[in-house]
Amino acid sequence: MLEIRPILSALWRSKIAALLIALQLALTLAIVSNASIIVGERQDKVARPTGMPVEDIITVMFQPMSQNYDIPAAVVADRDLMRSIPGVIEVTHSNHIPLSGSGSSSSYYNKPNQETGGEGANYFQVGPEFLQALGMKLVAGRNFEPSEVQQVGLNDRLDANVVIVTKQFADALYPDGNALGNAIYTNRSSHPIEIIGIVERNLGSWVNWSKAGNAAFFPQMLVIDGTLFMRYLVRTEPGQRDAVFKQLEEKLSQRDPQRVIELKTLEEQKDRQYSRDNTMVKVLIAVMALLTFIIALGIVGLTTFWINQRRKQIGVRRALGATRAAIGRYFLLENGMIAGTGIALGMAASQIANHFIVSNYSQPTLPLPLMLICATILLCVSLAAALLPALRAANISPATATRSI
Amino acid sequence: MFGYYFSLAIRSLRSTPIMSALMVAAIAVGVGASMTTLTLNYMMSQNALEHKDDVLYAVQLDSWGPERAVNNNSEMPWDLSYRDATALLRSNIPSRQVAMHRWGGPVSLEGSELRPYTSMIRVTTRDFFALFDIPFIYGGAWENAADESPQQLVVLSKKANEKLFNGEDSVGRSLNLNGEPFTVVGVIEHWNPSPKVYDLNNGHFDNSEEMYVPFGLHRQLKIQSWGNTNGWKSENIAGYEDFLNSHNVWIQYWVELESAQQKEDYENFLTTYIQSQKAEGHYPRPLKFGLTRPSEWLVVNEVLTDDNRILAWLSLAFLLVCVINAVALLLAKFLRKAPEAGVRRALGASRSAIFSQHLMESGCIGLFGGIAGILLTLGGLSGIRILLMGYLDQVATMNWTMMLAAIGLAILASLLAGLYPAWRISRTTPSVYLKTQ
Repeated sequence: MLEIRPILSALWRSKIAALLIALQLALTLAIVSNASIIVGERQDKVARPTGMPVEDIITVMFQPMSQNYDIPAAVVADRDLMRSIPGVIEVTHSNHIPLSGSGSSSSYYNKPNQETGGEGANYFQVGPEFLQALGMKLVAGRNFEPSEVQQVGLNDRLDANVVIVTKQFADALYPDGNALGNAIYTNRSSHPIEIIGIVERNLGSWVNWSKAGNAAFFPQMLVIDGTLFMRYLVRTEPGQRDAVFKQLEEKLSQRDPQRVIELKTLEEQKDRQYSRDNTMVKVLIAVMALLTFIIALGIVGLTTFWINQRRKQIGVRRALGATRAAIGRYFLLENGMIAGTGIALGMAASQIANHFIVSNYSQPTLPLPLMLICATILLCVSLAAALLPALRAANISPATATRSI
Repeated sequence: MFGYYFSLAIRSLRSTPIMSALMVAAIAVGVGASMTTLTLNYMMSQNALEHKDDVLYAVQLDSWGPERAVNNNSEMPWDLSYRDATALLRSNIPSRQVAMHRWGGPVSLEGSELRPYTSMIRVTTRDFFALFDIPFIYGGAWENAADESPQQLVVLSKKANEKLFNGEDSVGRSLNLNGEPFTVVGVIEHWNPSPKVYDLNNGHFDNSEEMYVPFGLHRQLKIQSWGNTNGWKSENIAGYEDFLNSHNVWIQYWVELESAQQKEDYENFLTTYIQSQKAEGHYPRPLKFGLTRPSEWLVVNEVLTDDNRILAWLSLAFLLVCVINAVALLLAKFLRKAPEAGVRRALGASRSAIFSQHLMESGCIGLFGGIAGILLTLGGLSGIRILLMGYLDQVATMNWTMMLAAIGLAILASLLAGLYPAWRISRTTPSVYLKTQ
């Protein structure tokens, strides 16, 4: 036996309070469902593979104190020194650090002498050891020969002869899959740069770039006029990073104290790049949790109040033969009806809010299943919040009905 | 009357501690969440150049190629090329003008224990300090000549002067920068606007540079920008001189124009300049330039992101839920006290007296909620500082204005929440309750 009619008439008498609860649930559903879609999208973004064993890599930047500093010789000496440290797998020099937010990009073409229709890629000038040092997987072709490495100044227009690219970039330039052995060209240039290898993936310098994952590696060493600096990427055996970090710092400054040395872990740089996304995820999760908690408290408070108001009525019903289960069911049903109304309103509100967010702030659209999941969870929370006062109501003894008379 | 209602309110709150705590908590959490995001957005929208907002302008020239898009709001490159910047510097129309960019290099001091370190440097023309109103502690800016011919002079920030010279008057002393000796000519007061409105190129909330060197040093030191360098054109760059003459953009440019006449003259000057460039085959796009005030510059550079706005909307919706929650709880609570109100009415209290008394009670909830909300906001902001790994340290703080705003918001929210319940209770018919006594 369901007491829908008496519940409705009872609710009608305190319709404002019931409406307030329904309204809260509606707004909460609108907030939670829209927040969860943003959380999901950001989590997917942060979880993208980088193509590197990020937690095993240390980055080094050095700046000599004098203008007449022999950088190429220092690179050889530093590399040999760093390789001799136990736990170090491989070292490469590089003009930029992947995932650091700082890098260079250029447009590349699959035909010579083009000006428009190129594909942007993040480019790196690295040593022949970079595949090992970055822990990347070669899926086609070969690695650089040491003899292929060129020395270039920042303003030298010295195009490389060979390049290794990511699969994503190879497929963008050569959609038919015949990139290996073909050439890429820079803007308006007829100089072919042969693709000799393709690596599985590398996310590149900028995680927020629309073309992140387009990357090209040239066998070059950048020796800059004026402002001098050089960067290294050091890969260690798993678990050895922190031990190697301390030794690197010490040995590098020992070998040549007349320079500034800056060491960072690649992990820290990656976290920094994603800090906005991670913040958004954590703040939104906190908002969702707090909100659910607040409305649950509100429902407990209000249901308790209603039950206290109706103690006598409950006692009379019990005295007339209503079971405890029937009393409990009455309040749960009442709550379910209020919550159901609120959630129905909330679904409409969610869609309206999502429409606003999509059109103003270019965020993803809200899929129906996700909204239904949020609605179900919210309904369960509401019923659970009503359960405790309902159980207490069921325990009201029939004697209450007679006591106050 | 006020004091009496206040004591009634406190007594009433103490008689139902759990329900009162729930309501205070609801308001506090709502206020805490919205004030966290509102404080961030407020601090991020600060304009350190507010006092000169109607005389300062960021200069943009549309030197880009027709086929190459500029992916930003202004549809023009943010920066100028070296050739354009040096050409504009020849104009004597602006009262002051600054061409500048970020640089950096290793710093060391002869005969000092200090370990060499990398310092951020601003390469700029001398008007920088006067145009942005930066006071000097010691010395002053370099002479005009240093912006055209190489002179190894440096102005230090207060912080750098403390690090290198223990905060003493270091004018005339020497330090080693990028392998070259530089002479200190001045030390400026602490100046660290956030957002960094004068250069929004890399990191809106980065710290200001610690050293300032003259614009005339480029060729001698072959200075490259430590910021964005963007090119759109394939140019044959074989050396540093070619780079300086290229169309690569990397220099920020600001002018101070004090009157409408001066601004008009400068606009005419820019138009003439672009036309002369077009005559030489440059500037392939339609003639366009930008003179943007600091306040608008912050907007077109999107210092406040969509994420910030979404969070602000979300937290206001959150506050609304908390207010509705408080309405429901207040209603429940006041209705329970209806007999008391009925007796007071019967004893002669007016409806408005009952109404004010109950509104006072909800106001008190707001006051306590606001104080707790400030604590939650401080917690929320420090959480955000940790999550953003130092990126927002300067802006994720609460000043007195925002603390007062938090209390104000809490009281407003709770008064709003109390309106309907207080009105309901003030309509109580005394007779109903007298009968049951």
